[in-house]
Amino acid sequence: MLHLGSQLTLNQRAVFALILLAAVSGALAPRSVAHPNPPSDAPQVTFNRDIAPIMFRSCAQCHRQGEAAPFSLLTYANAKKHARQIADVTRSRAMPPWLPEPQVLKFADELRLSDTEIKLIANWVEQGEVEGSPADLPAEPKYVEGWRLGKPDLILTATKPLVLPPQGTDTYWNFIFPVPINTTRWVKAIEIRPGDKRYVHHANILVDRAGASRKREAQPGAGFGGMEIRIESQVFDPDSHLLFWKPGTVPSVEPDGMALRLDKGTDLILNTHLQPSGKPEIIQPSIGIYFTSHAATKFPMLLQMENDAKLDIPAGEKNFVVTDDFTLPIDVDLMAIYPHAHYLGKDIQAYATLPDGTRQTLIHIPQWNLNWQAVYRYAEPVRLPKGTTVSLRYSYDNSDDNPLNPNHPPARVVAGNRSSDEMCHLWLQVLPVNFDPAQGDPRMALQEALARHNVEKNPGDFEAHYNLAAMLQSKNNLDGAISEYTVAVKLRPEDAAGNNALGAALVAAGHPEQAVTYLQAALKSRPDYFDAHYNLGIALASGEDFSGAARQFEQALKLQPQDANVEANLGAALAESGQLAAAKAHFEHALQIDPNQALAKENLEALKKEMEAH
Amino acid sequence: MPWGKFPLRLLVLVAALCAPSSVALSQEAALDLEGHSVNPLKESNKPVVLVFLRRDCPVSARYAPVIQQISKKYENDANFYLVYPDQADTAQQIRSYLSAYGYSLPALRDRAHSLVKLSRVQITPEVAVFGRNHQLVYEGRIDNWYVDLSRARSAPTTHELEDAIRAATAGKPVAHNEVRGVGCYISDLN
Repeated sequence: MLHLGSQLTLNQRAVFALILLAAVSGALAPRSVAHPNPPSDAPQVTFNRDIAPIMFRSCAQCHRQGEAAPFSLLTYANAKKHARQIADVTRSRAMPPWLPEPQVLKFADELRLSDTEIKLIANWVEQGEVEGSPADLPAEPKYVEGWRLGKPDLILTATKPLVLPPQGTDTYWNFIFPVPINTTRWVKAIEIRPGDKRYVHHANILVDRAGASRKREAQPGAGFGGMEIRIESQVFDPDSHLLFWKPGTVPSVEPDGMALRLDKGTDLILNTHLQPSGKPEIIQPSIGIYFTSHAATKFPMLLQMENDAKLDIPAGEKNFVVTDDFTLPIDVDLMAIYPHAHYLGKDIQAYATLPDGTRQTLIHIPQWNLNWQAVYRYAEPVRLPKGTTVSLRYSYDNSDDNPLNPNHPPARVVAGNRSSDEMCHLWLQVLPVNFDPAQGDPRMALQEALARHNVEKNPGDFEAHYNLAAMLQSKNNLDGAISEYTVAVKLRPEDAAGNNALGAALVAAGHPEQAVTYLQAALKSRPDYFDAHYNLGIALASGEDFSGAARQFEQALKLQPQDANVEANLGAALAESGQLAAAKAHFEHALQIDPNQALAKENLEALKKEMEAH
Repeated sequence: MPWGKFPLRLLVLVAALCAPSSVALSQEAALDLEGHSVNPLKESNKPVVLVFLRRDCPVSARYAPVIQQISKKYENDANFYLVYPDQADTAQQIRSYLSAYGYSLPALRDRAHSLVKLSRVQITPEVAVFGRNHQLVYEGRIDNWYVDLSRARSAPTTHELEDAIRAATAGKPVAHNEVRGVGCYISDLN
């Protein structure tokens, strides 16, 4: 029975009467363990035989000491203490928390009670919660205490805990975990320990390979806020794994060959969703990493479908629908799916239309609830052949009838990062199959197709063009990259990253003189932009303005002092402008940092000869 | 539904519920944390607010700041008591809870459910507001913050407890004298 205030519907009145009846019978008969005259006609249900197996399989992951739920359900005494609650929440399917409808493509670890199980629980409560014969009680499941997969190879703990205040709206906080490794390592499993499982609603890990997130912290180790974060990457190195935690999650070990790569300098960003509990809480998460010596031989990719640009939801609109359709250019196996919207999301669907026209539901969540968002792993990978169209169809309720609407009264809502904004994202973990490695990385075809799709969808979108350009550049299609970067820069003439990227591409394509204007524009917008200084130095040197180049490399060096490449290039520019002694010092410096720096080595040799000759 | 079997018993209980709330408490009264009997309705002539809580109820917990804010706002208008109806709660456990949540309101243990029955509450957190004449003015939810156990609004849009306190102070009736709350059932309700 849901407690929705004083308006009870017909169904609920009937249920209320039923419980009242049971209460009456209970009150007037002596309370004993075995109820002599159960009011219902159903066969007798006992905890030991019928209910305990349900508790053990579907509830105890969270409903036990040290886990996310506020009370345990491992024993008869505990279950009886919460009996009415259990009957209510299972009847409404509020518990166990599982949003998707049942479907043909089964998910692993589906947390859903059958109608029979729900009826058993209802009858058990109605009959007065009979304990039953001890012989019937199954053995309690064995749980691994502490780290589920044993002692991790590496344990990272958040530098600075977050103090969650007693009251207020949901908090979204990001913790940065630098990974202290000196060489590339392969990860077969990660366990996320959010700190206090009762107050962290969910958490996921993003891999930051470029140190981009550190800039968002006020001080190193402080963390930073935000519901979602974007991580920019310079090279084609797409996200590959969905690293997610929600209450009850048990860490899984990647199948052989699908390890996650971490490099020296990689940061792991733990993005957490927290809810105030009524008293201050200290949240200090940690991450356990398990390495394998087996390098990855299979490379999954997160295909990130979205249609945020269509999110412009009028205040009061009850059924705002957003769709998107993307056709796969290669064969893939779909491993896991992660739909995402904010508080207005209502009916969330994704389906695949195969080349032969058949349609498969990939996921259907009729009543979205951000509080219970999750990554859903398929029990078996789903083969989606080339030519399959993956579609998303999300509806949003921006009316006052949506109790989770963050705006009172309702207001216009567009896409964004705040909880009062909306999102329309569908992430699919896919593994390319049936490809010829000699033809190149199949993920590039996938990513390029998606980037082109986004440009078609949003021709006026800077990021769409920028991302397509970056894709083309990573395939060495420099003309294509330059063309797309040029559109991007026209759309945002003052964007530092766009200007720098266009300049760099022009330099790479052999047009340094054209590059200079853009690189200068990048530096006007962002004077401490290391890459732009470096690229401008290269461009000027190519155009034989060596003193100009030297000034740029000096700026770059100030920003990144221990960079052998910058030292070497600076030395070269100084040498070309006749400052031999200064050049020599920088070459030597470069070789101190990196004894194998080729430019410095060659030039130092040449310089020494030149200096000896004089 | 076997209505035929129990009509008499049903009638008796329904009749009991319809009777006006009596001031007299059952034999085992509520106790303060030192073990003394307390009848909160007899402490003064002010309206009385009873707030029923479970220590293992996350909804009750999340309401702690709200309960404290309301009790501060109306401290001159009504006497507030926290009531713990769970039979297993010890005074020590309740003291720890009060300390953790920063409560400075008086707390009562209601193991025999004398206050629960008087107030007709079923869920925690629920409240009961009694007027100066010790009549039950309102019982049920504090506000409509929670829609159901898995969904809370960003902010409540109704404020039944505050409305009831103001009504009780002014000697006026409330619009609805019973609005069920969202939260955790009180154990062993009869």
